[in-house]
Amino acid sequence: MFTRGTLIYIGQRLVLIVLAVLGVSSLVFLGIHRLPGDALFSEHLHGDQYQQTLHHYGLDRPLWVQYVNFLAGMIHGDLGESLVNRGVPITPIVLREMSVSAEIGLVALIFTVGIGMTFGVVAAIRQNTWMDYVLSTTSVIGYSMPNFVIATFLILVFGIWLDNFTQGTFYFQIGWPGRYGSIGAIWLPAFALGFPYASIVARLTRASMLEVIRQDYIRTARAKGLREAVIMVRHGLRNALIPVITILGPLVIGIITGGVVIENIFGIPGLGKEFANSILNRDYNIVIGVFTGYAALVGLANLGVDLLYVVIDPRIRY
Amino acid sequence: MTPSTRADAAKRLPAPILQVKDLQTQFLTHDGIVKAVDGVTFDLYPGESLGIVGESGSGKSMTALSLLRLVPDPGKIVGGKVLFRDQDLMQISDEEIRDIRGRDIAMIFQDPQSSLNPVLQTGFQIAEAMLAHKKATKQQARQRTVELLKRVRIPAAESRVKDYPHQLSGGMRQRAMIAMGLANAPSILIADEPTTALDVTVQAQILELLADLNQELGTAIMMITHNMGVVAGLCTRVLVMYAGQIVEQGPVDQIFENPQHPYTWSLLKSIPRVDALRHERLRSIEGLAPDLLRPPKGCRFHPRCPFRVEKCLTDLPPLTEVKPDQLAACWVTMDRAKKEMGADQLLDIRPGAASGLEPGKIIP
Ligand SMILES: Nc1ncnc2c1ncn2[C@@H]1O[C@H](COP(=O)(O)OP(=O)(O)O)[C@@H](O)[C@H]1O
Ligand code: SF4
Ligand SMILES: [Mg+2]
Repeated sequence: MFTRGTLIYIGQRLVLIVLAVLGVSSLVFLGIHRLPGDALFSEHLHGDQYQQTLHHYGLDRPLWVQYVNFLAGMIHGDLGESLVNRGVPITPIVLREMSVSAEIGLVALIFTVGIGMTFGVVAAIRQNTWMDYVLSTTSVIGYSMPNFVIATFLILVFGIWLDNFTQGTFYFQIGWPGRYGSIGAIWLPAFALGFPYASIVARLTRASMLEVIRQDYIRTARAKGLREAVIMVRHGLRNALIPVITILGPLVIGIITGGVVIENIFGIPGLGKEFANSILNRDYNIVIGVFTGYAALVGLANLGVDLLYVVIDPRIRY
Repeated sequence: MTPSTRADAAKRLPAPILQVKDLQTQFLTHDGIVKAVDGVTFDLYPGESLGIVGESGSGKSMTALSLLRLVPDPGKIVGGKVLFRDQDLMQISDEEIRDIRGRDIAMIFQDPQSSLNPVLQTGFQIAEAMLAHKKATKQQARQRTVELLKRVRIPAAESRVKDYPHQLSGGMRQRAMIAMGLANAPSILIADEPTTALDVTVQAQILELLADLNQELGTAIMMITHNMGVVAGLCTRVLVMYAGQIVEQGPVDQIFENPQHPYTWSLLKSIPRVDALRHERLRSIEGLAPDLLRPPKGCRFHPRCPFRVEKCLTDLPPLTEVKPDQLAACWVTMDRAKKEMGADQLLDIRPGAASGLEPGKIIP
């Protein structure tokens, strides 16, 4: 499946991702230094203390010197220190938050693809029956609800009503339990994040599945005496997936950016939450770090999607 | 196959392995009912090679698909029996017919490019046919797949097993399809225009392969084609279909020598020859495939038949024995057409031209 050519391709893509990440962070770096005020604006420092702090961070040097220093740091994977919580290095923070965002994004993606494909396949197999209509309607509703509406609704139902109704026997933890890597609290935010996109996947899967089940090779599979379930999954679904992968790229970006809202609603300490906080705090170094993290995440996710093609369709080789 | 062995094969007919009785398959469309298969009756004998000919749209594929209950939506089998090993394939459960498919009766199709799944390895698709019927373990199936690929003369079979369909040539894909069809050593192989999508040289190779397999394995072959030449090369008996019905059937030699239905006669005339005049003639009888939504009254061939008489416009001729082993559905038959209407010397073959019943006019 993965030939030597594929590995070379992956190598090339990784180089491109590094370049893109450097490009994005440079743009943000230069852009942010053009904003009025400076990084110490919120600190309300005066006189010597102010100058000292500026000097400590090298903010009193010419912009190009700062930029060269910044690039030198980036190349070593060093995003500098927080301007608010002095002395705290940013790289580990961003990496940790990236992992949280990636985790939620991945679960959201599994929801999206899992729910979307199931709906789509069932609707196609049961074309023009009540099942088809129910699923198609659900899809339209899902698509017309923004993720923050779904999020609020889920919190209401699972966090409050369910808790009250069962006297606390059943409840979903809202917010983050404080332990990184824990997935206990991941289901609701991931669902809110993934569900609107599931509708897109469902509609696309339905259409592509309807196309596939008319194909000659499905007839061949039937003529072989295969079980209907085997025909649908092994022979149908795999082919129906090919057009679905095409929209996975934009969809993954949607999930990553949608995560900013969802993380803030659910109080999840991922990149999205940090993004909002760091801007409010004018912690410019962290803002740059967060953008850098996002750029890396988007690049890696797209690489993952492109590699899926190779897994699914043997006619595609890089 | 030489004429004498063919005549022998046609003569020694044991009990049929498959009996089709009054099969009817229809499509319910917005415009009305399309009778794609309209009362088809025939027998298939063990190990024989039966040709089904007829122009495009005459119901050959739907007849074949009906036998295995594989008719696509919105088609429905609305009547008839298909007897195979003392059971009616039209009545058994879905699970039972699934067991028959690919195990006892296998089918291969016209376009090997689209008939193979592009995302699965060719060898796997062949092995799958065995595994579906629990005929072999995974390992045995893999081994037998290589043997089958060798059997259908695919070079370097061991390495081809892992190839995806797009890595094979058109001819090799059809060979792979045949291997898939033979995987469970079925007693019947239905081949629906297996050479139509292939180059001429490859066509000949595939036909030769099928003829060999038929001889060596004793698999009965139902060869669907619109090409009389294919029938001549491969089959012992032939059914001629027109507008969803069988209009003539019998031993190939006999029918090629002495067709009794005007449609068969015209088909045989249309096998291209060096003789340009005859080639000219056949053109005038082509065109005008019958509309199965509103089939002509009486004999369905009458709008195109040079020999039609009054009765043909109103009454549907039954399929009756016209010679030993030979059945035809025609009020006139070619013997009479030759004697009374000079069919042999006929140059003008417009509808009604020979009989003088409204020559040239298309009577619906
Ligand atoms: N999907 C369909 N909808 C309506 N009619 C159909 C459909 N498929 C086939 N038919 C009808 O069935 C007839 C026989 O088709 P077919 O068996 O495929 O012909 P052949 O194989 O002899 O070329 C066609 O003439 C057409 O009228
Ligand atoms: S002679 Fe009459 S019955 Fe015979 S094929 Fe012609 S139209 Fe049909
Ligand atoms: Mg056909």
